[in-house]
Amino acid sequence: MGRYISRQLASIIPTILLSIVINFMLLHAAPGDPARVLAGKDNPSEEQIAAIRAELGLDRSLPVQFFSYVRELLQGNMGQSLSFKQPVFDLIMSRMPATLLLTVTSAILALAIGTLLGVAAAQRAGTVKDAALSFGNYALFAMPGFWLGLILMVIFSSKLGWLPTAGMRTVRADYTGWRDVLDVMQHMILPVATLTLVQVPIYFRITRASVIQERQQDYMTTFRATGMPPTHTFRRYALRNALLPTITVFGLGFGFVFTGAALVEIVFAWPGIGRLTLDAVFRRDYPLLLGVYLILAIAVSIAVMLTDIVYALLDPRIRLR
Amino acid sequence: MAQTLTSTPVAEIAPRRNGRWRAQWSLFVESRMGPIGLAILIIVALVAICAPLIAPDGPFKLGATRLLAPGKEGHILGTDHLGRDMLAQIVYGARVSLVIGIVAATISLIVGMVVGSIAGYYGGIVDMVLSRITDMFLIIPAFFLIIIIVATLGSGIIYVMVVIGLTAWPASARLMRAQAMSLRERTFIHALRALGESNRKILFRHIIPNGIQPLIANASLDIASAILIESGLSFIGLGDPNKATWGRMIYDGRTTITTAWWVSVFPGIAIIITVLGFYLVGDGISYVLNPRNRKVRT
Repeated sequence: MGRYISRQLASIIPTILLSIVINFMLLHAAPGDPARVLAGKDNPSEEQIAAIRAELGLDRSLPVQFFSYVRELLQGNMGQSLSFKQPVFDLIMSRMPATLLLTVTSAILALAIGTLLGVAAAQRAGTVKDAALSFGNYALFAMPGFWLGLILMVIFSSKLGWLPTAGMRTVRADYTGWRDVLDVMQHMILPVATLTLVQVPIYFRITRASVIQERQQDYMTTFRATGMPPTHTFRRYALRNALLPTITVFGLGFGFVFTGAALVEIVFAWPGIGRLTLDAVFRRDYPLLLGVYLILAIAVSIAVMLTDIVYALLDPRIRLR
Repeated sequence: MAQTLTSTPVAEIAPRRNGRWRAQWSLFVESRMGPIGLAILIIVALVAICAPLIAPDGPFKLGATRLLAPGKEGHILGTDHLGRDMLAQIVYGARVSLVIGIVAATISLIVGMVVGSIAGYYGGIVDMVLSRITDMFLIIPAFFLIIIIVATLGSGIIYVMVVIGLTAWPASARLMRAQAMSLRERTFIHALRALGESNRKILFRHIIPNGIQPLIANASLDIASAILIESGLSFIGLGDPNKATWGRMIYDGRTTITTAWWVSVFPGIAIIITVLGFYLVGDGISYVLNPRNRKVRT
């Protein structure tokens, strides 16, 4: 297992490197010269630009520049944000917890709900109920998350007034302790519900297909022939095997959640990465945009790697291959 | 000369086209989801084509009362904050969405097809390198990459389509790779190689045409996701400002949503219907291609 994990760790390096290369290329494609972009001020002084230029070796060949860029990144230096006048890395990290709160909560909820519905549909495969569930899932999957968010917001906060409209905390309430946690949770309900709903179809589809396939396996026929009770064999054998593929999807789905979360955060004025991205877009804050992209790429690579490791823990065939 | 020698045996091995098409069509109908999706798409396409007939004044005509509720003063779906007819905008938006979806999916299909078939057919080190690159692109958060590129280069519709297409190809590449790997071991490909056919010709004349079907099902999903991505871009103000897109309408209606829900709600429904159509058609095609559902072995 140790060897498997180290191999997985090694395998994400090229992915992260590619993200850095793309980032580097984008930095050079952004209008103006990279030093000016990274200086992050509307009117940086010539000395500041010269300093960054020397640091990055912009007067030297592209490969040299690339290595200087990587060295800066490894030190956590992603440049200064144009609009916030703060280091990009610190800025992103300060917004990360809010985004993770939404993405992780909704991903786990969607995994649970989607899997349950998928199993339910697979057990009724071919019936009207199965068709209705599948159709409903496609309809949900076709919904833009930000639109669903808007609709839920209008219904539950504007019209019914049950839940807060926007933000993460009640403004000027200054709650502390449990009262604060409760307040955040209340604000979380709508964005999390939106994100969960749009993710459910991912897990529904894979679970349904996988359970149907597993039930047709020869070993299940053998169990039936030996007279073992079908509910027992289903729960104990078919279901366990069928749920494995959903784990892989969980990792890849994480990239999808970040995208969805960004737009949903904008709808609900949630102070996370999505809002930050929107601000960066509006102010053409390139260092910030590039930083967000790079950190998300790395976060998703790590998530995919972790799911691969979990998969291998659960399925010995993978780690022995 | 080599041409005639090689094409005859292949033609004889291949089943009769007509019968195969008919069998596939009946499977498509049997899938239940497929025909519903196709019906939806035909309606959407008709609406897009007949846009000038349904809304003769075009999508941007001003002058009506602002934020009229649906059904008032002859505006079936109401008007937006500038007094533009919602129905006209949605009808013209169908054109934009379909074009974006189809062009982006075509780009991704072509790139995926070429990368995947080369990786699968040649195998070895070529496959290893291309597969790794494919996997990396699969993981990269494409939406954020698209945001940066569009914010940098400008939000013309062409950029949006090309960038979406160039980030969506890994799924098709994986499918095509699997197809090419299995096809290259088939007798007729061995025969072609023995006859001295060039690798490039085998790839483009035989491997790709014979293995492309799963990619078509995937292309249907690609169109759907391109439409969703474009609406997301428009929603954060990065869409083409000169086009009436559904995402932009939702964006426009955001500020007045509590008093005039229809400005955001109707374009959203248009997106859902269209995207659903493509998903269902994709589901139908997958059903046809699943060997478990095949009744007559071809």
